Amino acid sequence: MLAEMLTVGKSEMRKDAWSKVTGEAQYVDDLPAEGTLYARVLRSPHHHARIVRIDVADAAQVPGVVAVLTARDVPGEKTFGPLIADQPVLAIDVVRHLGEPVALVVAESKLAAQRGLDAIHVEYEPLPAVFDPVEALAEGAPQIHPGGNLVTEYDVRSGDLDAGFAEADVVLEETFFVPRISPGYMEPEASMACWNDDGTLTVWVSSQKPFEDRHAIASVLNLPVEQVQVRSAVIGGAFGGKEDSSLSILAAFAAYATHSTVRLTNTRHESFLAHPKRHPAQLRVKIGAKRDGTLVALDATVHLDTGAFASYGPAVGGLLTEVVPGAYRIPNVRVHTLVAYTNSPYSGAMRGFGSPQAHFATESLLDMLAGELGIDPLELRRKNILAPGDKVFTGVTVADTANALPVILDHVQAARERLSSIPATEGRRSGVGFALNVQTMGLGYRVPDDSTNRLEIAPDGSLLVYVGAPDLGQGLATVAEQMVAEALGLPYEAVRAVPIDTHISPNGGVTCASRMTYVVGNSVILAAQRLVDTLLDYAAGVLRVPREQVAYAAGHVKLADGQSIPLSEFASRAAEDGMMLSAEATFSFPYPEETTPKYLPVGMPHVMYVFGAQVARVEVDPELGTVELTDLVAIHDVGKVINRAAVEGQVEGAAAQGIGYALYEDVKLKDNGRWVDGFAEYLLPTSEDMPRVESIIVEVPEPSGPHGAKGVGEVALVPTAPAIANAVYDAVNVRVTRIPIQPEMIVGDRLAVG
Amino acid sequence: MNRITITLTVNGHRRTVTTEPNKTLLYLLRDDLGLHGAKDACGGEGECGACTVLMDGQPVNSCLVLAGQADGHDIVTIEGLAENGHLHPLQRSFVEAGAVQCGFCTPGAILAAKALLDRSPSPTDEEIREALSGNLCRCTGYVKMIKAIHLAAEELSHAG
Repeated sequence: MLAEMLTVGKSEMRKDAWSKVTGEAQYVDDLPAEGTLYARVLRSPHHHARIVRIDVADAAQVPGVVAVLTARDVPGEKTFGPLIADQPVLAIDVVRHLGEPVALVVAESKLAAQRGLDAIHVEYEPLPAVFDPVEALAEGAPQIHPGGNLVTEYDVRSGDLDAGFAEADVVLEETFFVPRISPGYMEPEASMACWNDDGTLTVWVSSQKPFEDRHAIASVLNLPVEQVQVRSAVIGGAFGGKEDSSLSILAAFAAYATHSTVRLTNTRHESFLAHPKRHPAQLRVKIGAKRDGTLVALDATVHLDTGAFASYGPAVGGLLTEVVPGAYRIPNVRVHTLVAYTNSPYSGAMRGFGSPQAHFATESLLDMLAGELGIDPLELRRKNILAPGDKVFTGVTVADTANALPVILDHVQAARERLSSIPATEGRRSGVGFALNVQTMGLGYRVPDDSTNRLEIAPDGSLLVYVGAPDLGQGLATVAEQMVAEALGLPYEAVRAVPIDTHISPNGGVTCASRMTYVVGNSVILAAQRLVDTLLDYAAGVLRVPREQVAYAAGHVKLADGQSIPLSEFASRAAEDGMMLSAEATFSFPYPEETTPKYLPVGMPHVMYVFGAQVARVEVDPELGTVELTDLVAIHDVGKVINRAAVEGQVEGAAAQGIGYALYEDVKLKDNGRWVDGFAEYLLPTSEDMPRVESIIVEVPEPSGPHGAKGVGEVALVPTAPAIANAVYDAVNVRVTRIPIQPEMIVGDRLAVG
Repeated sequence: MNRITITLTVNGHRRTVTTEPNKTLLYLLRDDLGLHGAKDACGGEGECGACTVLMDGQPVNSCLVLAGQADGHDIVTIEGLAENGHLHPLQRSFVEAGAVQCGFCTPGAILAAKALLDRSPSPTDEEIREALSGNLCRCTGYVKMIKAIHLAAEELSHAG
C-alpha cells in the first residue's frame, strides 16, 4: 500500500469523454438509420381493464405499415420478468396499468407507424383499480394477478421484541411515506434490432444487463440463445432503470417478425409510464431506547408498491428489510416487509434499491427520538453505531470496515459546526441536519454474483480490456483500465476497454448494486496475473530460455542477462503465429461460509457494507414554507479511491438525485386520472437547485477489495432526504414524515402550532 | 404533405434541404443532415435542453424550432465547435474537469455555456447556474460542469 501508484487514485480522464464532447458518441438512436423500419407501441389508456377485442385489420392497411403485432404473434414465451415472469410482452386479455404495451406497429416511417397505431381498434371493459399498497392487500381489493396482490413478504426477526420494548424508557412510532421516482436518465430507452440473413438477430441496447437481455429475447422469440447477439451502444445513464428488457424484447420481436432492421425508442412520456421506477412505500417504524440513548428495540412494517409487475420488487423488498435498522446495533428487531401489486406504473431496480426508503424513515425517527430523550442526535448515533464484530439482526457479522463509522461521525461533527455558524438570510430560518447510512454491496447470498473479464495484448503492445458489464456513464471502463494499467505497470493510455458484444465479450454480470469497481477490479487484477504467466511462457518459448529466466516488469520481458524486450515484440510475433496473448478471470463475490447466515430467502443477506453521512443546511421561509438547500457536505467511505474525479462525480450526482427525492420528484396520480409523466411536471433538480456541495471521501480499506476499494455507486443518494428533513426540523420545528417536502407541510403545521 | 425547401448555414456550411413542413430543427439536424450531437431527451417539449444548438449565436431548444423557422439562419451544433481540428476550450475543460459522465446532456450543456462565455467572458457561479438551468443533467449534479466552465473562461481570457 505504501508503494507509489502509477495510476490508481488519480483523476484520469475518461477516454469516452472526447467523443461525448464532440457529438460523435453513438447512443442507440444515433446508429446509422439507412433502410430501417420504425416501431411504435400502442399503450393501454386504462389503469386496469379487460381487453374485449383487438382489431388490427385497418391498421394493417395503412400505407407504409409493414406489420401489426399482438400477443398472439409472440412465438415463444409470452411473458417475461427478471424474478417472476409476470410481465406480458404485449398485453394478454387484460391491461394492468396505464401505458402497458398492447400492440406493436412496424412501419417504414415514424409517421406511418403513428398512423398505424391510430387505426388499431381496441375494445376495453374497465375494471376497478388500486394504487396504494396497503389498500391492494386489503380484503376486497381488485385482484391484479391470478395469485393475488401480495408479491413477496419478508418477516425477519431477532431477539425478543416484547422484552426489548419493555426495557425501553422511551418508545416512538411514526409512519413515513416516500414517493415513486423516475430514474430520469437523459437518454430514453432505445433499441435497434437487425434480422440477419442467416436467421440470427443483432440487438443494440441501452442496458445494464446485455447478457440477461439476450436470454429474455431468445426466450420470447423461441430462438437458441446463441442466435441472439446483443451489443451495447453508448449508454445515456441508467441508475438501475435500465435493468429491464421490455424495450429490447419488443424491438427484437419486430425485427424477427418483419425480417428487417427495426428501431424502437420510447418517448419521455412512455419512459415515465412503462419503464421501472423507484418503489413508493409506506413505512411504519417503532423504536425503543433507554434514557441514556441505548437503542433496545425496533419494529417496522413496510408496504412497498411494485405496481403492475414484480420486476425487481421482491429483491428491493429484501434489501430494504435488511437496512431498516440502519447502521446501528439494536438487539431486538423485527422488520416485516410486504411487496404488493397495484395498478401503478411498475417499479424495479433503482440506485439505492430499497435503502433510500428505509433510511428516510429510520434516520428521521432517530432525530425525533433524540429530541424526545434530550440527547444530541450525533451523540445518539455515536452511542449506537455498529462496530466490527457486531451481529446485525439478519445474522451478518459486521466487518472491520465499520471502523469508518466513527471517522464519518467526526466529519459530521465538524461539518455541522461549520454550517451552523452561517447566519440565516434575513426573513428566513436556517437549520442544519444530518443523516447516517449503510448501503450494501453485491447481489446477496445465493444469487449468482460473478464477473468475468478478459485481457488481450494487441499486436501493437496495447492492452484491450473486455469488460463484461456495461459502463452506464459512471466510469466503469475508466476504473477497469486504471486497475489493469496498475497491475501491468503500463501507462493508463495504453489500456483500452472494449464495448460489449455478447458474441465476444465475457459475461461480466449486471452493472448494478455498487459492485462493479469491486468485482471487475478483482477480476481484471487476477486476469492480469494470468496474462503475465501466459506472456512469460510464450516469451521463454520464443527466446528458448528456461521459464525461470524471464520476468515481467512495466510492459517489458526482462531476461536474466539484463535484456529488456517490449511487450509489443511478443504480441506482434504471436499475431504472426496466429495466436492472441490473452487471459480471462472470474471473480465471485465472497459470501464466507462461516459468517453468512443461511436461513434467509435467496438474495439475503448482503454481507458487505459501505457507509456514509450527509450534513445539510437549509433556509426555510416561514411565511411561504419554501425550503432552500444551501449546503450539503457528503461524507462517504469508499475503501480506496481508484479515480478521484469519478468518485466525486458519483457522490455529486447521487446527492443531486437525493435532493430531487427530498424536495421535488413524485410520479403521482393527478386529479385527472393521469400520471405525472414528463419533465414539465416532474421536476428534476437543475443547476440552480444545487447547493454548495462538498465531498469528503473516507478511505478505510476493504481487505478483499482491489487496492482496498469498495463501491460508491448508490450510497450517496441515501442520506440526503433524511438529512434535509432533519435540517428542516432544526430550522422551523416541523417534522415532515412525507417526501417530497411541500410548502404546505411546513406552513400548515406552523399555523396549527400557532 | 407538401415538402418545403430551406437554406440555412450549419457549422459554417450553407445547406439546402427539402423536408416535411412539420419537422423540427432537431430532427432536421438528426435525420436530414446526419448530425446526431443534439439529443431528444424530453420528447420535444423544450424541458431538458439536450437538443440545444446556437441559432445566430443564441442557445435555442432545437426541438421547439420548426425547420422552416431556421430558414436563412446560422446554426452551430456541437459538431461545429472545434476549429481547424482544435477542440473548443469548453470541450477540453469538460473532459479535464470530469464533467462528462453519460454524456447525453453534454453537447447541449457545452453550447449553452458557449453562448454564456460569448456574452460574459468571466461569469460568476450564479451566471453559470442560470445559463445551465435549462440543461438537465442526471449524472453529475452540475458541480463539475460549473467548474469546467470556469476553467474554459480562464483559458479563453488568457488566449484573448
